[in-house]
Amino acid sequence: MNAITPMKPWKTPLLRVFFFILGAVKPLQTDLKNLSFIHFARWVIITRHQFPQLSPQQPREELRYDYLMFFSNFNGTWNQYIDAFSAVLSQGLNAIWRWSEKFPGSVPVTPFKAYISQLQFDTDYYYNAYPRAATNDVKAALRVQDAFNEFVKTSQTLSPSDFEKAYRQFLVRVQADLGSTGMAPVGT
Amino acid sequence: MANQSGQVYGLTILSPIVENERIDICHATELRWYLASLPRDHTSPFARVSSTHLARLVVMDDVVFVGAPAHEEHLKSRYLVFETNFDGDLDTYLTRMAREIPEVVESVWKHCVGYPGVADPAGFVAYMKKCQIATTFFFADVNDKTVQQNLRALQVQSALAHFIEKNQGEPAAEIQKSFGVLLERLAKAPAPLPGGDDSEETSAEDRPHD
Repeated sequence: MNAITPMKPWKTPLLRVFFFILGAVKPLQTDLKNLSFIHFARWVIITRHQFPQLSPQQPREELRYDYLMFFSNFNGTWNQYIDAFSAVLSQGLNAIWRWSEKFPGSVPVTPFKAYISQLQFDTDYYYNAYPRAATNDVKAALRVQDAFNEFVKTSQTLSPSDFEKAYRQFLVRVQADLGSTGMAPVGT
Repeated sequence: MANQSGQVYGLTILSPIVENERIDICHATELRWYLASLPRDHTSPFARVSSTHLARLVVMDDVVFVGAPAHEEHLKSRYLVFETNFDGDLDTYLTRMAREIPEVVESVWKHCVGYPGVADPAGFVAYMKKCQIATTFFFADVNDKTVQQNLRALQVQSALAHFIEKNQGEPAAEIQKSFGVLLERLAKAPAPLPGGDDSEETSAEDRPHD
């Protein structure tokens, strides 16, 4: 997902301060982390003078607004994503986009969705190194890998009966993380 | 640094696209056609630059007018937005792009103003840095593992799930023996391919995304 919103330049430093605090105070990221369906997301402030001009023949941009760009790599459908954002992160979203022109607030969700629809633009090419794995799948697989490495290290020389006991303990440890990955079901 | 989260780097590039009213098909359209033709699976050029977790290329035609009383304004150039999330440092990544997928870099950035070519990777790196916009806030859910570590973990998870299902109810000695075979098979299994692999030559148990 790609989105861009205009901001009055005097508001830009205020948003920068908010992002600085968000980056420095990790507990403020807890809800975003717990949602656990975003691989990577970023906000990029581009000021009105910052659009690259790489040749004298390229006209310099003459803009009144600074812009906030947002790029997100998430699992599931657009509706699921915006609904979850609105339901769980409304205060955080409001703190980020309240500086953008005509932001209606993230609750209620209908005008919020209308706003996002208006300012997002489509991706022309998208690559994912693990396209069938949601971020929860990746985290589960990493937990399985850790448990597996540990089990391999300690179980190699066990007698069959001790192996059975250790194997059962290992299964209990990993059983919640063995769900199969694949293409996401389509839903709205 | 906001461009980085743990060991993952979040690069944002805005390259102005060449405007030429005297040609039949504009550069932005040609670029979009080319991007639409690029493979997105394990044959993707970004699978070759194997430290790439996720990447996107977007032609941004203009900024958005959100309605009155906001002021309506427009860009004078279109921009190619390149957003990528990768392991390691910026110079190494951009140099790998110039060296390992030069034909793709050429086909994409030849439509952009000031592109110097890839014959000199250092020149390409310098050009990309001129187009870089610093990330203000970067969120990476898993930021301490490389692409290969994630793929390997998904492969182990898949193989183990198959193993447990297949050996359910077997005597302990049998399971122990089969587990040894699983370890050998995993040790010999080819490294999982970034970008997804649905080919029939790869058994379901070895597919990291199955």
